[in-house]
Amino acid sequence: MLDYDLSPNRFELLYGMLLDAIPSSVLLVDEKLHIVSVNRNFLVKSQRGEARTVGRPLAEVFPTIILENTDIERRIREVFRTGTSVKGQRMTYRAPGVPIRIYYYSILPIPTNQVMLLMEDVTEQVRLSEEVRRVERHLASVVESASDIVLSTDTEGRILTWNSAAEKLSGLSAQEVRGQYFFQFCDSNQQQTVRKVFMLMKSGNESHTTEFPLVTSNGDGILVSWVFSPMKDDYGQTVGAVVVGRDLAERRKLENQLRQSQKLAALGVMAGGIAHEIRNPLAVCYSAAEFLLMDNISVEFRNECSRKIQAGIQKASAIIENLLRFARPSPDTEMVQVDLNTVITETLDLITNQARVQQIRIQLELEMRPVLVLGVSGLLQQVFMNIFLNAINAMPDGGVLTIVEEISEAEVAVRISDTGMGIEESDLDKIFDPFHTTSPIGKGTGLGLSICYSIVQQHLGSIHVQSSPGKGATLTVRLPLL
Amino acid sequence: MNGPILVVDDEPDMCWVMECILRSQGYEVVTVLSGEEACYQLANRDFFFVFMDAKLPDMDGLDVVRHAHATRPGTVRVVLVSGYHYHDDPVIRQAFDQGLICGFLAKPFTHSDLLKALPIN
Repeated sequence: MLDYDLSPNRFELLYGMLLDAIPSSVLLVDEKLHIVSVNRNFLVKSQRGEARTVGRPLAEVFPTIILENTDIERRIREVFRTGTSVKGQRMTYRAPGVPIRIYYYSILPIPTNQVMLLMEDVTEQVRLSEEVRRVERHLASVVESASDIVLSTDTEGRILTWNSAAEKLSGLSAQEVRGQYFFQFCDSNQQQTVRKVFMLMKSGNESHTTEFPLVTSNGDGILVSWVFSPMKDDYGQTVGAVVVGRDLAERRKLENQLRQSQKLAALGVMAGGIAHEIRNPLAVCYSAAEFLLMDNISVEFRNECSRKIQAGIQKASAIIENLLRFARPSPDTEMVQVDLNTVITETLDLITNQARVQQIRIQLELEMRPVLVLGVSGLLQQVFMNIFLNAINAMPDGGVLTIVEEISEAEVAVRISDTGMGIEESDLDKIFDPFHTTSPIGKGTGLGLSICYSIVQQHLGSIHVQSSPGKGATLTVRLPLL
Repeated sequence: MNGPILVVDDEPDMCWVMECILRSQGYEVVTVLSGEEACYQLANRDFFFVFMDAKLPDMDGLDVVRHAHATRPGTVRVVLVSGYHYHDDPVIRQAFDQGLICGFLAKPFTHSDLLKALPIN
């Protein structure tokens, strides 16, 4: 293909073409600082003709402002004197009416007793790197402004970055933790698990979600919900991990308040049934006491009256005790072994009165042996209380409340059915939403089932609803067996 | 005085109390624990007077009374006994207005309250 005549003349032509093709400005300058030759790029950039450029002094061709700011004439003379090149100097130039341009220039001595001035337009690169820095700053401020803990680690789990929220919650500064293994700041029971999560992230793509306490500078633990995600490079290799943590203390506090207020609302619903139930034993005691005041009654009758009074007081007192137990805020206690049968029967005791008042028959089919789950009994009681009361409210004109327990391999399913008005299909997927209610104002807060949902989730279980209008509803609570 | 007094209450001890008080005054007493039994009794014999619990597990006390009035009009005089309602409860006032009941007794009550509810012979 190369079919050039390679005479000296041809070489000159070839080099001239090469120079013109270079996307940088190339100037040859002699000792008197006159321009000997320039390539096309320079002429285009400086908007000058060749005739007004070649043979002219540098001072005439370059704008005064550049000459002054860069001191380029002195630098060129210096190169002539020392024979050493000047490399990678920056030059900024704004011609009137043209956006600012940024150049890198080098001054290189060449053996013909001339120097070559090489100028590269880096405006675009500088703009890009500034853009990169701006994006970096923005990302950094996103991470810094987050109220969640955001930290990054290398593949081994050594901490690389640690944001302000992490500093605030842990009381440990980024400097203190940088380079340390993240698991060192985790609850001692969890360190092994955390190390395993980092191992898994090295090869896997999945995020890992868990809850455990972060150990703070004063040795306390604060409960945090964590999400571990592997950080991948462009080739899909794990290069580290991002860990995001949310302080659960605040959320738990709010949840507890919410549960408590919902409980009080449930108590209001139960009040009618309770009044009825307490007044019966009171009436018996009252009358029996009046009998005792009568003259000439038999010893047997006297004894019977005393027994009735004692039994009545015991009955009333048991109702009050159940009530107190339900109303009392349940501390966010640890999960322990709980017999679900006890939870269900104790809860039923509280609502039997309300059911009776509304002519609702209760059909109970529990397992004969204890059904053991890991849980907080007070919270589980609240779940069933809510569901039972909803069922009762759905049957204002009486009906049947059925509670069936079914054991499968690893879980227990409790089905609670009513024969009430049922739930509209459009409401079915909303019934677990907070504040969703079909009750008239003042009758329901709409919080009950959303609280049930969060409690059951906390117990690693699930809750489902089945219903069609006019045919009642069935709620199924599933919990893992111990 | 025509027939015994019927006491309807799902709580056996309440029946015991009312039976003791009424018997001590020489009345004959029949006690039943459910709405269904009460309906059966009211349909099949005459009672001088009825003490009816407002809330029964199978029926509302007032519904039992309505049923009795429908099957044998003008034969039953009823006092509603309740721990659930209060005496100026709209439901109670309505029952008075409709002539369903001739008295209301709130639990707990004194023996003389109960006896005062009875018509003077």
